[in-house]
Amino acid sequence: MDGAVLSLQPPVVEAEAPGAASALVRRAVAGDVAAFEQLYREHVGRVYGSILRLVAMDRARAEELTQEAFVRAWQKLSSFRHESAFSTWLHRLGVNVALMDLRGRREEENVDDAALESAAGGEIPFCAAERGDLERAVAELPPRARAVLVLHDVEGWKHDEISAELGMAVGSSKAQLHRARGLLRRALGGEA
Amino acid sequence: MNTEFEWRSEMRKLGGAVEPARDLWPAIHARIGTAPARRRWTRPGLALAATLLVGLGAVAFAWRVQSSHVKKSVPDDGAFAVEAAPENLVPDHPVLAAAAQDLDDASTQLQQALEQRPEAVFLVGLINRTNSQRLRLLRQSANAG
Repeated sequence: MDGAVLSLQPPVVEAEAPGAASALVRRAVAGDVAAFEQLYREHVGRVYGSILRLVAMDRARAEELTQEAFVRAWQKLSSFRHESAFSTWLHRLGVNVALMDLRGRREEENVDDAALESAAGGEIPFCAAERGDLERAVAELPPRARAVLVLHDVEGWKHDEISAELGMAVGSSKAQLHRARGLLRRALGGEA
Repeated sequence: MNTEFEWRSEMRKLGGAVEPARDLWPAIHARIGTAPARRRWTRPGLALAATLLVGLGAVAFAWRVQSSHVKKSVPDDGAFAVEAAPENLVPDHPVLAAAAQDLDDASTQLQQALEQRPEAVFLVGLINRTNSQRLRLLRQSANAG
């Protein structure tokens, strides 16, 4: 089950006052570093938080990737289309930086989807766990399984979006999610 | 947590903002410096640059025909590699000097475009053509002088 029948909304993005935010973005596009710094102050928490979860709570690596994300945002500001919220654009850019890093590290060999399915166990997740335990268990997942789980279950992405960004088939994304949940259940003491 | 809904509700709680332990802005600021955000190079911009090159080439060619009787004071034997063309040399004649300035501007913009799209081989060709035109202007200025 991948939640297709549920209609949970994507994560709530902090309210963005259209006029003020848009003015800041326009100033930044025009080269106003002070405006860009203000944008950084407003959005760094969300960008850093998402990256941190994708890199297994490695704070040093998350800081490095967050810096990279904002440098790229500065370089790509002129390509920002104002029809979408700046926070959404920036968050997506930050996630992509983390995913590119994940792809570049090749920490995990591609695993056959069928093997993932058989290894993952049942579909319904497990008994309740403390948030800290859950965070640690997520951090210990293999990188690709962790990325899919975080993007789908935490960030609210759809499988087609995940598969596009991670360069995998939609079926592989679903299999990785299934695997991740099974591994989490084991890690937290549930049945395999 | 027995249902998908409960599970995903719990997982969503893992989301949200996390402030980094230190201020990352100084390092970001150092990397972006005070340079303005990079201008995006568009197809119309590239077309304009190409048109400019063709136009300036025509001007240079006409000037060359006019001044072909003048002695050569700069060797025309290919000894000037394009990469070695001195950028700070400006032709004496105001028409050629203005053309040289336009070529310098075009070359700068093309190089910025190449930084953004390193895979765009055609930009390398345009840059080489620009530098070649620039060098030709210098030679013609010297010949005419």
